[in-house]
Amino acid sequence: MSGGHGHSDGATVKERADLAMNNEFLRKAVKFTTERLKGGKLKATDEHGNWEEWRERGRQIRLHTIAHLDYYLNRFVDNARANGVHVHFADTAEEAVHISLSIAERKQAKTVVKSKSMVTEELHLNHALESIGVDPIETDLGEYIIQLAGETPSHIIIPAIHKNRYQIADLLSEDAGEKLEPDTQVLAGYVRRKLRTKFLEADIGMTGCNFAIAETGSMVLFENEGNARMVTTVPKTQITLMGMERIIPSWADLEVMATLLPRSATGQKLTVYMSGITGPRRAEDADGPDEMHIIIVDNGRSLQLGDPEFQELLNCIRCGACLNACPVYRHIGGHAYGGTYSGPIGAVLTPSLQKNVAEWDDIANASSLCGACYEACPVKIPLHDMLIYLRRRKVEQGHGDKIEAAGMKGFATVMSKSSRFKTVLKIGKLGQKLVARKGEIRIKVGPLKGWNSYRVTPTLPKKSFRDGWGTLEAEIRNGLQEMAPEMKNRMEQIVKDRAKGGGHGYGHG
Amino acid sequence: MDTAKTHQQWLIEMEAESRSKQTRFINGISTKLRRPMVTEPPRHPYRGAPDFWNAYEWNEQERIERFTSNFRIVGGHVERFTTMDDVTRFIAEKAKELSVKYVIRQNQPELDALNLEGELPEAQVSVWNSDPGQYWKARSAEADFGVVMADYAAAYTGSITVLSSKDKGRSVSLLPTVLMAIIPVERLKTRLGEIMVHFDEGGRESLPAGIHFISGPSRSADIENDLTIGVHGPGVVYALIVG
Repeated sequence: MSGGHGHSDGATVKERADLAMNNEFLRKAVKFTTERLKGGKLKATDEHGNWEEWRERGRQIRLHTIAHLDYYLNRFVDNARANGVHVHFADTAEEAVHISLSIAERKQAKTVVKSKSMVTEELHLNHALESIGVDPIETDLGEYIIQLAGETPSHIIIPAIHKNRYQIADLLSEDAGEKLEPDTQVLAGYVRRKLRTKFLEADIGMTGCNFAIAETGSMVLFENEGNARMVTTVPKTQITLMGMERIIPSWADLEVMATLLPRSATGQKLTVYMSGITGPRRAEDADGPDEMHIIIVDNGRSLQLGDPEFQELLNCIRCGACLNACPVYRHIGGHAYGGTYSGPIGAVLTPSLQKNVAEWDDIANASSLCGACYEACPVKIPLHDMLIYLRRRKVEQGHGDKIEAAGMKGFATVMSKSSRFKTVLKIGKLGQKLVARKGEIRIKVGPLKGWNSYRVTPTLPKKSFRDGWGTLEAEIRNGLQEMAPEMKNRMEQIVKDRAKGGGHGYGHG
Repeated sequence: MDTAKTHQQWLIEMEAESRSKQTRFINGISTKLRRPMVTEPPRHPYRGAPDFWNAYEWNEQERIERFTSNFRIVGGHVERFTTMDDVTRFIAEKAKELSVKYVIRQNQPELDALNLEGELPEAQVSVWNSDPGQYWKARSAEADFGVVMADYAAAYTGSITVLSSKDKGRSVSLLPTVLMAIIPVERLKTRLGEIMVHFDEGGRESLPAGIHFISGPSRSADIENDLTIGVHGPGVVYALIVG
């Protein structure tokens, strides 16, 4: 992840977004999927009732656990060891990779079947396995497709969101050595058959971890396809990579997470499978792994501990609801963010996991600060506040522009005066007004062009935002009318260029 | 070539390394949190679901209705029976209808009593882990039907809970094409929390290696958001509520 964008061609979010914006299908697909997920979430949370109380409970449980992370992590490790698990610690991605490869080498593994794991993406573990001659096989349907295409996931929950069925049929036909019809059932059926044999042959099963229960040393996985169950049931060795913040104290707390996570991710009451794995198979069991390893990974997470502005990032349960709610994500798609994690959470997490401010990139600028991410977050992480902190820090450390710094201080003043948790949305809107109406900030500030190009340019096609975004859109269009003539001309030129199919260069200063 | 013993030695070395690393790793966390390491259990005032939720309970009829509607909405099937004899009849009928050749079932007294071996003369019925020489994962993978007793079920989410043991394979509810899960009605609860409380109360030592909550047939929406059933796990799941 160092460098932040190893797999994308463009050097900045803006350039990568240019690529994404030129891909009409990507835009439609991302919008279609995210709106569907968002609709499902709203329906599910509405139906369940008392959503605010559940969110608050989820937040409190996460806050409590992270505030006592040393205690709970020790407790988890002691219990996992007592269950017969081999626990390892990795400060860095390199260490986690090294431990994983050592195990694979000891086991003389030929193939590793993997279920979806953002941590292994973060570590670029597949490349490392290939380098020692081990074949890593992604078994989640979407991940399998993405792996065949040689790409990385563009959405936490639906990794192949940017591919249509014809593109998928082409990829799978090549894999099968025969022509497969672009029919979902046919394509999924092929993957089922193909992967069945892979599960039975594989030497190692590799998983991520949604939650780790401190009091019993259990690790918990949520999924719909059954591949995570396969990976933890069939191979003789299991390796689980776990972010060090995945801990919750008890099964009682898992009920709260099980209430929040699936509803927020896909609008389901519960994923089809929720599995609690407590150690390797017992001596008399006839399935489950003989040997189980859990690698606890820091890789930059501890940088957020003790930081009042960013510690709450560790509360994230990786549901993807902020992506679906984000107007920017819905326009530019996941790959434009360039890191493992995309959308609002990625915009904050990616730079926060890295020590070097110079690597912070311009990713925090890819946000409208509208507060939709906070509103969607099931554990109430104030992501839009964090985006502001991030931009302020970047500016403070000399990576920004002085006049932008003035603008950021304006934000900071507004932020600090208000009671953050109750009036977040209002503040977000106020922030926009500040920029849109105080002429000298809006017009003269060079770096804000980048920001504006995301807030303004994508909204020009009027139907872009759903009804709920009416107010925001009106504000932005007001802002446009008040814009300095030269800037307005430039914007109009951008639209003309895009209409001609050029599309390059808008927003570049 | 490494022998098993040297692998064991390697694991011991890795553990020694891990234990010394643990101290540094966790100390680092305490330092970041700007206080000494916490070694006593902290007070956790927000443990588990909110109080209003813990008091929430449906009567038996409502539990059955809600479970049924939740399970059906995700593509599962639900049947309601009075006795285990009805269950035997139903499974035998379905087996005949679908020309079932291989059945695998858990090794449990309730399932012994169904006498599937006698009732399904056309099919080969295997009993999980009844012969240590058998490769049981493969027997499950080839099975048309997997038959299990549910340990619990939750109506609110439409979930069946199965726990692993020597006699209860994780593969039996995962690898066959069709899953038949028998739920004695007294095991059907309202909330997930009524099930999870047993795991907290029993503690680590009481837990099996695998606890699985199953809420319908295996599914994916990874191709153009188009729902596909039976991607890796069973594509057809019957919940048979008895009693």
